[in-house]
Amino acid sequence: MASRAKAKEDARARRIAEEQARAAAHAKARRMQRLGGVVILAIVAVAIAIAISSGNSSGGTGLLHGKALTQAETSVNTLLTGIPQSGDTLGNPNAPVTMTYFGDLECPVCQAFTLSGGFPQLVQNEVRQGKVKVVYSPFCTATCNSHPHTIFANQQIAALAAGQQNKFWNYVELFYHQQASETSNYVNENYLNALASEIPGLTLATWKAARSSQALSQQLASQEQSGTSQGITGTPTLIFSGPKGKAQPNTSIPSYSDLQSSLKQVQ
Amino acid sequence: MSRLIAPRVLWRAMLVINVLAIVLTVYLTYIHYQGISPVCSLGQACAKVQSSTWSKLAGVPVALIGLLGYISILGSLLLLGDREETRLATLGMTLIGFGFSAYLTYRELFSIHLICEECVTSFVFVTLLLIGSGIRYVQGPPTVVPPGEPEPDPELDAADKPSARVTAAR
Repeated sequence: MASRAKAKEDARARRIAEEQARAAAHAKARRMQRLGGVVILAIVAVAIAIAISSGNSSGGTGLLHGKALTQAETSVNTLLTGIPQSGDTLGNPNAPVTMTYFGDLECPVCQAFTLSGGFPQLVQNEVRQGKVKVVYSPFCTATCNSHPHTIFANQQIAALAAGQQNKFWNYVELFYHQQASETSNYVNENYLNALASEIPGLTLATWKAARSSQALSQQLASQEQSGTSQGITGTPTLIFSGPKGKAQPNTSIPSYSDLQSSLKQVQ
Repeated sequence: MSRLIAPRVLWRAMLVINVLAIVLTVYLTYIHYQGISPVCSLGQACAKVQSSTWSKLAGVPVALIGLLGYISILGSLLLLGDREETRLATLGMTLIGFGFSAYLTYRELFSIHLICEECVTSFVFVTLLLIGSGIRYVQGPPTVVPPGEPEPDPELDAADKPSARVTAAR
């Protein structure tokens, strides 16, 4: 009688244990299914956020055509016409204040500063009035992140070659207007030639010959060395130099008021 | 299932990290709207990163998005009870926060070429919260108590609601 009761008790315990094991396995499977669903949702949410964020910096898809190109050319010509240029310097060579602009033509933050930050207003006002001159100092950041240095040198020397005809800033502005994703290989001979052909008054044959100039290669190397020795780590870096010393805006894409604030410190 | 860490201890640690993250993002949001440069031992690096193209998402400062995210995580830890669904919600939110923070850190390193201390600190916080919420979800509630074994310590597992528990009391 006792052994029969014990057998029943044992069977009951086994049944309970089996039920618990099944329940645990079922709960674990359900938890893992839910986890998988949440992971997929999270990946989708992050991908959407990245797509929106990357859209901030796409800056176009390379060479413009038609109406968009005409608008870009008009914008550049309107900004620069009437302002003296000499090599990589924009503005009155005797201006009391110099803003040295350490930049990289493929840098999206430089593009944002040059086209929609405080730069256009500075050019329209202080540079046009002869109070400030801007000197572009090439410093490889975004380009060297995705490409060999030769690409950086090639595009920068193309701009310096335009500078020999006092069109450096036209080239730089057109480059920023038609900048594509820094990870793509959009900078090629076709691209560089197209930018040159968009500059009114630039003699293409002279520009092409100047691109192989040893002097420009040396100038580029010297400017890069200067940036390194000054401890430049990112672009754009803007250094105002004037009678009262030096000043630097502390925002990545300085607004016009940021630039004016630095300017006042050195005037 | 053996536990890596006692649920109550884990929950408290996550609360502390979350509150610190909220304090940090309140500061970053405040200086963003006030136009103040952040405290930074790396010169202007923090200011440059926090005013870069990637400092906003669809026009909203990422500092504010981070703040709202951390408040939501805090809500899932405190307000809705400790159920499987809330643990999963915490894990989902920390996963999204981790993914986007990792992308922003990539941008800092490879696009802006500068590091912002506050941003890295926030990335560390969200990484710790992700690890915590992952452990919390995988460990699950105290759940199955094998026959003959004592019930879990109610003080230790106070964060786990009895409703989520499957006892052996049949």
